[in-house]
Amino acid sequence: MDEATQAFLEKLLSDSSFRNWAKNSNENDVAFWNTWIKDNPDKIDVVYNAKDIVLGIAFQPHGVDETHINKELDAVLGQIQKRAQARDGKPVIQLSKTVKRVASLAAVGLILMLVALNFPRTSDEIVHKTGFGEVINLKLPDGTSVVLNGNSEIRYGKKNTRDVTLKGEAYFKVKPQNETRAKFWVNTEDLRVEVYGTQFHVNTRDSKTDVTLDEGSINLLLKNGIAKKMLPGEYVSYSNVDKVVLHEGAEKPNTYLWREGTYVFNNISLKEVMKHLGHTYGLPAEFMDKTLEGKTLTGGIPNENLKICLSAIEKTTGTRIVQQDNKLIIYNDQ
Amino acid sequence: MVVQNRTKTTTIQPEKVIWHLFIGGDLHAFSTLFKGYYAMLHNYGYKISANLNLTEDCLQDFFIYLFENRRNLGEVHNIKAYLFVSFRRAIFKSLKRERRFTDLEGTPEALSKFEFSPEEIAMEQELVSARKEVLAEILNGLSKREREVVYLKYYSDLKTKEISEVMGISYQSVLNTLQKAFVKLRNSVETQVIRQILQR
Repeated sequence: MDEATQAFLEKLLSDSSFRNWAKNSNENDVAFWNTWIKDNPDKIDVVYNAKDIVLGIAFQPHGVDETHINKELDAVLGQIQKRAQARDGKPVIQLSKTVKRVASLAAVGLILMLVALNFPRTSDEIVHKTGFGEVINLKLPDGTSVVLNGNSEIRYGKKNTRDVTLKGEAYFKVKPQNETRAKFWVNTEDLRVEVYGTQFHVNTRDSKTDVTLDEGSINLLLKNGIAKKMLPGEYVSYSNVDKVVLHEGAEKPNTYLWREGTYVFNNISLKEVMKHLGHTYGLPAEFMDKTLEGKTLTGGIPNENLKICLSAIEKTTGTRIVQQDNKLIIYNDQ
Repeated sequence: MVVQNRTKTTTIQPEKVIWHLFIGGDLHAFSTLFKGYYAMLHNYGYKISANLNLTEDCLQDFFIYLFENRRNLGEVHNIKAYLFVSFRRAIFKSLKRERRFTDLEGTPEALSKFEFSPEEIAMEQELVSARKEVLAEILNGLSKREREVVYLKYYSDLKTKEISEVMGISYQSVLNTLQKAFVKLRNSVETQVIRQILQR
């Protein structure tokens, strides 16, 4: 390939309108390039070669099993610890605490399950409870998966594992029972969610229950007796204290989402952000400079780890957040 | 992440924050990186070596090395490309060590496998409507360098510039290799299609 051809190929590959033509994804671009090709027949080989490169090959990568990754990680962390000890005679890093948290969140679930299994006669109920800042992934007996955020609790009877009670915050992926079409229920102080098989988020903080539906459809039975059907993308907030629906409909104006261990903030004030962290980690926030409360944030932060979470917030808002006496104190850092 | 403060807008990448904490010795951040990149590097190492044990041992040693030498890693601008570059080097080193006794002549690069199996090719292809088996066979007919470029671009989703860093060749070479690979692919596919039509 001569230099001029290569330069031309490079130009085509970096042109978004060309890529649209190759993928047949924009009418204007398709029309433009079809005409262009007609007018430049000498370039046809390069154009089609570039098209092939844009379309490429679709692969189906082999995944690596998560339990295997966790096992390998444990082995690596063990090695790091052992070698640090051999070198310095003592562990340089506080590993015991870290390893415990790192050693797969599933382990926490396992311990809780073991606790529940060890006292079969005392209760017919199974309870999973997370501490502050602890997130666990649960698989219920029926195959439904639940991600339980920090400072939350889920309980269900052994006889009916598809009827659960939630305090705090959780994300549900309910497995449909195609043969029996059995329903799944989530109960909170404010309402009852009736589900067949779908994905949704429930948050019971601040004496109200928020439900956001991602997929499928669900019915809500509010404690005031009213039933509501929800569609994907909709969000309902109901408080049984005031017996009022605080919000219902498609868009939450300034939203915060929590999915798979990540907080997603959409134009939300720092005050609100800190309130969510307060619930999850049990650390209330104190603003040294009240003007900081109104700063807004947009983006995603992982919430499994407070340090990473705070560091991300500090860097984006130009603040300094210090943990002191079980409080998070926010200073201006600019 | 974007913060809007009246007129001011700043953007930072959470991954940079995680990397920064890792350099500081934070094991949570290290674990996040490990979990985030393990599968990708595992795939790549196995592609090169075609040896699962060697790949997994090498990956463990690689991550331990990263942690222990985190202060000497220098400035890292692109985490993904950096990990691919250094892991590639590590895997070739262990390949060399392993094959020292059996093959004194060949360079480890020459001994790398880089073969595609039909299972790792997606059913839906925009480029051609060839069967997975046929496409795998055609891909395996490319040169090793072409296969690695195709792999890094479409399997690992690296940008052309990142591929040049990983493979230690110039940007122009990557482009050139890609271009040649697709000319060959196109020809093979057409030959295959004609053969299929004639067989009917």
